Amino acid sequence: MKLIGVDVGSTTVKAVLVEDGAVRWRDYQRHNTRQAEKVLEFLSRMESECGLTAGEDRIFFTGSGAGLLGPFVGAKFVQEVVAVAAAVEKLHPGVRFVSEIGGEDMKTVFFTPTGNGTAKQVYMQSACSGGTGTFIEKTARKLQIPAERLAGMDYSGLDLHNVSSKCGIFAEADANTLVKAGVPVEEIIASLYEAVVYQNLATLTKGNTPMPEVLLLGGPNLFFAGLQQAWRHHLQKLWSERGIELPDGAEPADVIHVPEEALYYACLGCVEVGSGEDESVAVYQGSEKLRWWIEEGQHEQKAKEGGRSLASEPSELDAFMSSYGKPGAAPTAKSLHQTNPDAVYLGCDFGSTTAKAVVLSATGELLHHSYVMSKGNPIEDAKSILHQIRAAGYENVGGLAVTGYGKDLLGDILGADVGIVETVAHATAALHFFPDADVICDVGGCDVKIMLLRQGTVADFRLNSQCSSGNGAFLQGVAERYDTPLEEYSSRAFEARAMPTLAMGCGVFLQSDIVNQQRKGWAAEEIMASLAAVLPLNVWVYAGQLQNLAACGRKFILQGGTHRNLAVVKAQVDFITERVPDAEIVVHPYPGEAGAIGAALCALERAGNAEGSRFRGYETVEELNYRSTTNDDTVCSWCECNCRRTFIDVELPGGKGRTWSKIPLEEGWERVISGNSCPKGLLEDVNEMRIVKAELEETKRVFPNIAEMVRDDAFKATRLAVEAARRNT
Amino acid sequence: MDPRRIHFSSDTSEEQAREFAKGRGTVDCCYPVKCISGHYGELLAREKKKLDVLFSPMIYSLPSFMHGHVTDSLACPRVMAAPENIKAGFIKEEDAFAARGIKYAAPFVALADRPIVPKQLFEGLRDVFPGLTLRETQMAVDKGYAALEEFNDELRRRSREVLNECAEHDRPCLLVLARPYHMDIGIGHEIEVDLQANGYPVLWGQYLPTDADLLEWIFRDDLDAGIISSPFDISDVWPSSYSANTNEILWGAKVAARLPWVAGVIRLSSYECGMDQPTYSPVQQIVERSGTLFFSFQDLDSTKPAGSVKIRVETISFYLEKYSADIIAKKKAASPPACPLAAVA
Repeated sequence: MKLIGVDVGSTTVKAVLVEDGAVRWRDYQRHNTRQAEKVLEFLSRMESECGLTAGEDRIFFTGSGAGLLGPFVGAKFVQEVVAVAAAVEKLHPGVRFVSEIGGEDMKTVFFTPTGNGTAKQVYMQSACSGGTGTFIEKTARKLQIPAERLAGMDYSGLDLHNVSSKCGIFAEADANTLVKAGVPVEEIIASLYEAVVYQNLATLTKGNTPMPEVLLLGGPNLFFAGLQQAWRHHLQKLWSERGIELPDGAEPADVIHVPEEALYYACLGCVEVGSGEDESVAVYQGSEKLRWWIEEGQHEQKAKEGGRSLASEPSELDAFMSSYGKPGAAPTAKSLHQTNPDAVYLGCDFGSTTAKAVVLSATGELLHHSYVMSKGNPIEDAKSILHQIRAAGYENVGGLAVTGYGKDLLGDILGADVGIVETVAHATAALHFFPDADVICDVGGCDVKIMLLRQGTVADFRLNSQCSSGNGAFLQGVAERYDTPLEEYSSRAFEARAMPTLAMGCGVFLQSDIVNQQRKGWAAEEIMASLAAVLPLNVWVYAGQLQNLAACGRKFILQGGTHRNLAVVKAQVDFITERVPDAEIVVHPYPGEAGAIGAALCALERAGNAEGSRFRGYETVEELNYRSTTNDDTVCSWCECNCRRTFIDVELPGGKGRTWSKIPLEEGWERVISGNSCPKGLLEDVNEMRIVKAELEETKRVFPNIAEMVRDDAFKATRLAVEAARRNT
Repeated sequence: MDPRRIHFSSDTSEEQAREFAKGRGTVDCCYPVKCISGHYGELLAREKKKLDVLFSPMIYSLPSFMHGHVTDSLACPRVMAAPENIKAGFIKEEDAFAARGIKYAAPFVALADRPIVPKQLFEGLRDVFPGLTLRETQMAVDKGYAALEEFNDELRRRSREVLNECAEHDRPCLLVLARPYHMDIGIGHEIEVDLQANGYPVLWGQYLPTDADLLEWIFRDDLDAGIISSPFDISDVWPSSYSANTNEILWGAKVAARLPWVAGVIRLSSYECGMDQPTYSPVQQIVERSGTLFFSFQDLDSTKPAGSVKIRVETISFYLEKYSADIIAKKKAASPPACPLAAVA
């Protein structure tokens, strides 16, 4: 009789066939989200190559896909950790700690000898990509490192950099920054291994010390030489710190094992568990039912679970479309100052990928808007967008306000009257049209902002610009995949009569979930509908961390370009109404331009209280004389990222110059720094830091801070006094 | 004992946790409690000047200026139990203290109940310091409370100076309502320093002035109406007044609502703080009902979210600049006459 163990994992399928205690057949392959198909392929091969026979041999399944697929072939389910532990106890009785890293999960098992056996403590993490195989592979793909090369890359002896260990998407962003800063990919990969081991030790040990002997299992642990080196480094360090003695004469390397069959432990454990079961249990039933599932069952299942759609019946969609489908009557805005009724007011929103500008009349009416993709040089972006406005015929500028990242860089250069932080710009735009607004939800292409308003201010906000979960780029990506122009997204999504349920959360896993649903036979419009449907969950719950929407208020304003997509609006309306039954939900009349409009409104408001505008004028801006420098002297040295920055020096009347700089700047010029990856890089060097610090100290002297006094008096002063006394004795 | 032999662990930091708390974590979602593992680890790892005793008292109650006016002045139970909880991570497999020849001393102390403190400390430390007497302990405790009083008085005096200055020039200031550990730069991330740098003096709830003349003025209407029995009475807004820091935060909110020059309140709280959660709404409502601006930084943990703090600080500064003058005027109009702060004096 043969015993078969099958491990249906999130990225691969592994199987072993054991006869008379010996492994006769084994294989592992990536399933590319076709779990069932790969299992069927393996079973067919075992039937033809080893004579696996229905009604005679016995089969056990483990892994994330086992619960669904096992019953089709008569298999018994064995929990993954139980399986791994069983294999380890049989094959390595001396092992006290196991780390198994999978594609989308990670586990640790601690074995502690007790009087009559071993106690096992198990910790597992499968909700987020941090520390898993996907975490490494995603970044490696981004860095275009082929799998074979990745496998051989080292950890030992390389410089390490800070890479987020918590989230695959954050890690990828960190890796991008490091690449931009010119850090060699070898060091980035070594840093990823460091992050994985750190994440495993930090979250999955819970006060236990991994004791020798140690077993490293799972694909990433087996394939990535550098990851093994990182484990060895950290475990040895831990053992020497904690004075843990190794068995006589053993070197640390001797007690950390990565068995060649590391991938198959769960399968071998299934067989081990199965061999202790009654012979009538888990008898192989053949692959007919599995074949039926692949060909028909999963599609029937699809129809069953997909009972819902974005709108359950045509009348519901009609009602929605009559409220939201066409631009409503222009909402009544507050009346505004008209000191200079012929002038126009400009608001510019310089984002990281685009620059937007709007022109308002003196009564606050939107006259014009423009849009340019950022070229990475803020001055060129500003020139180009202002050129468009001038070309549209708006010469008499009564005020200019800037918002977005460009507000600090460009404010003085353009002669902006006001620099407005994004939150205030968005809130101003919303409150202008809807003075009773409680919540603003701005979903842009790359970020999500939720602003909670009270007393006419942004009292609280949530910002998610690091994680792709919830933002509009995902919708765009999927629309592109299906060759659907973004404007047609909603009409296609509304065509869907059913849709799959996508999992909320981690964007890394959402990607593979979409592929998975597609393989199940869901059509493009159905996937598009489901993506719109899951967006509110990602926006409010996952990115916004807001569990109780009713506590936020009842009037919700939807802003940001993503809300031009009516499928998203429908999903938002349903999601919010379900939680706040009396909610009033409106889409801002100019969703994509809200930031720029808010800025322009601030310029308009200021014009009512002040004389004239500081705007330097179109001509001055168009003729701005500037030079850029990027060389070794512009490299930022605040941290090891060593960003290669660009100094953009602009000739401006009254410019203070920078005589103290490594690249000195004469009076009459101002410097703008770009190409930095964090705010610190906006300070040129220690000289500028000194100047800024001196100004800061003066501010601090004038405006005291009691907490700082507490810190100084209670700890610093005491410590210094004691240390001084210590030195004197 | 020579006071120079007393050493403190360094400020809380992410690096400290990374370096010294690895694998020592125990099950506690309270971030400030979790930090203690790093402090213990750092002290145990010292190569030079090795420790003889690690002193980490289990503080049951706290000396609070509100004691006697409230139900009780207890510490958070999580914080009280923290020394035991954190110790567990260091003795699970091997007694890391014993292995380094360190005595671990975590006496149980009720600091709000001053008369019994000497006895509690004596009982908890007599085995650690052979020859220790109750009399000696009594003396040390007296000195300790005197130093604490002097320290608190000085800071309250400076807070009043700030308020005098603001009143004199009708300038706004900010009040931080938080737990004392948020002054630790690794827990509160110096958020109030960023606001200070934008040109606002910063007061801290636990160090608001408690001078009788000022409190009489602040709470005159409520005292006259019989709503409260003393300026420190918070039973009108918080009947279950048993936690020292919580009481102080609620009281701070009442003061903020009544002091015209406090134009904005900044609330700090750490990730999933169970003690803070029920206070979010009352504190916010008390402050906002008076027209004072209220901003909160919640769920603080190991990393300073520098980008979002910057945006928040700019947002707060914008609204303070825009509304402060109106807020001060409106609150002054609602205040009793004859304010003892410099403006009206």
